[in-house]
Amino acid sequence: MTGEEADGRLGEREYVVTAADEIADGERIVVQLEGREIGVFNVGGEFRAYTNWCAHQGGPCCEGSLTGTVEASYDRETRETSLEWTREDEVLNCPWHGWEYDVTTGDCLSKRRVRLPSHDVEVRDGDVVVSL
Amino acid sequence: MSRQATPADVLQETTIVDADVHLSGGISPEELAEHLEEPHASRVTSPYCYPAATGSDWDPRMGGKIEPRTLETPEQVREDLVEGFHIDHPLLNTISGCAGMPNSDLAVGMMRATNDVMLEKFLDDTEFLALASVAPQRPDLAAEELDRIGREDQFVGVFLESYAQQPPLGDPVYDPLYEAAEANGLQIAFHGAAATGFKRDFPQQNSGLEEFLSVHTLAHLWQQSLTFTSLLVQGVPAKFPDLNFTFLEAGIAWVPYMMWRLNKEYSFRRSEAPLLEKSPEEYVRDQFYFASQPLGEPNDPEQMRQMLDIVGPESLMFASDYPHWDFDHPEELGNYLRSMFTAEEREQVLVETPREAFGLDI
Repeated sequence: MTGEEADGRLGEREYVVTAADEIADGERIVVQLEGREIGVFNVGGEFRAYTNWCAHQGGPCCEGSLTGTVEASYDRETRETSLEWTREDEVLNCPWHGWEYDVTTGDCLSKRRVRLPSHDVEVRDGDVVVSL
Repeated sequence: MSRQATPADVLQETTIVDADVHLSGGISPEELAEHLEEPHASRVTSPYCYPAATGSDWDPRMGGKIEPRTLETPEQVREDLVEGFHIDHPLLNTISGCAGMPNSDLAVGMMRATNDVMLEKFLDDTEFLALASVAPQRPDLAAEELDRIGREDQFVGVFLESYAQQPPLGDPVYDPLYEAAEANGLQIAFHGAAATGFKRDFPQQNSGLEEFLSVHTLAHLWQQSLTFTSLLVQGVPAKFPDLNFTFLEAGIAWVPYMMWRLNKEYSFRRSEAPLLEKSPEEYVRDQFYFASQPLGEPNDPEQMRQMLDIVGPESLMFASDYPHWDFDHPEELGNYLRSMFTAEEREQVLVETPREAFGLDI
């Protein structure tokens, strides 16, 4: 265990990763806990924590861009396909190959039942606390 | 002592649907002309133009090494397929060529005339089932034609020629055609073309490959994998959830490659195929079907078991491609099914899957 990790340790597998005001809305940090890289995101004031390990090939997905994405619907009456740019800043893209994840849930957008391993995270006394 | 059942005996006892039977020589230019107005009636009977002059660059029969075969009458269908191959339900089609015609007015005329002759000559006095010709150059008029022939119970699907289509067949311009097919319960069957069709899509390769062996190896595969990709990325199965899509004459071993490759590409670039609501493989498993011919020939026959397993009896059907020079006799697939699969799975391939794919009332 590194010194950095021991410093933040609160209780059994609980770690203070930073002060809450150190991660602005839309930002994230990536920390090491128990030898694992964990991405901690501030999504509109709510914190989310995921293992930095893409379900595809283990890429550093928590370091990828946060963007929106394209969704579409088809109107059978008009035969028009409407494209919509949605979920602005809520789609996490793995920088290796572009796999998309919903940063609010960790769900992969292209495969059922695939999601990033998530970890409980809460703000306690102004600190962001992640439980593994 | 009872004699051991031969493969032919077994075929005879089984109900078999053949998804790809060509009426080669079955619809003559003169018969078409009776259903065409001028100038098209004279045009189709001219010895200088298609269909009298086929426009093939190649010699599929190798100067006579392979014997010529046609299927010109309902009697011959009965004799060759029903009695000869023990096929109970041949799905008749004709490579009308209308899908590749540069003049769309002629193509539309050919589409209607071909379906008229099919009906009068091959269906009215028989119980045969058939796939209708369409001219995808005019999706609106193809849709009207499907509304017209959709009233005929013996037409069970659309024979959609998948060569020479620009844009490829997943494009929204074809929506009226797919919509009408779905509304009339006519399921889609895609079919490419090698001797006359390859040069339309791949003119450089047609000139450069030197031998028909190469052209014939690649033609149906390229045309069908192009169609398969276009359909999935453009979301056609999502837009038309009640439509089934059968791929004829490209065999089956390409299916896992394309299915898994599309899964991979979709996860890379999901936002470029936003109409899909599930993985490409799920659409393939739910709405795509594959005809066996030309069944590949692994040196180790045991590997065919794995391939048939991957595609799955629920997605696989038999096709002979008779009377073309490269047809598959039902015994080939039948032997694999008999030795490697259960009786139920064998029956599923030979009758249940095509029944489901085309909604056959058999």
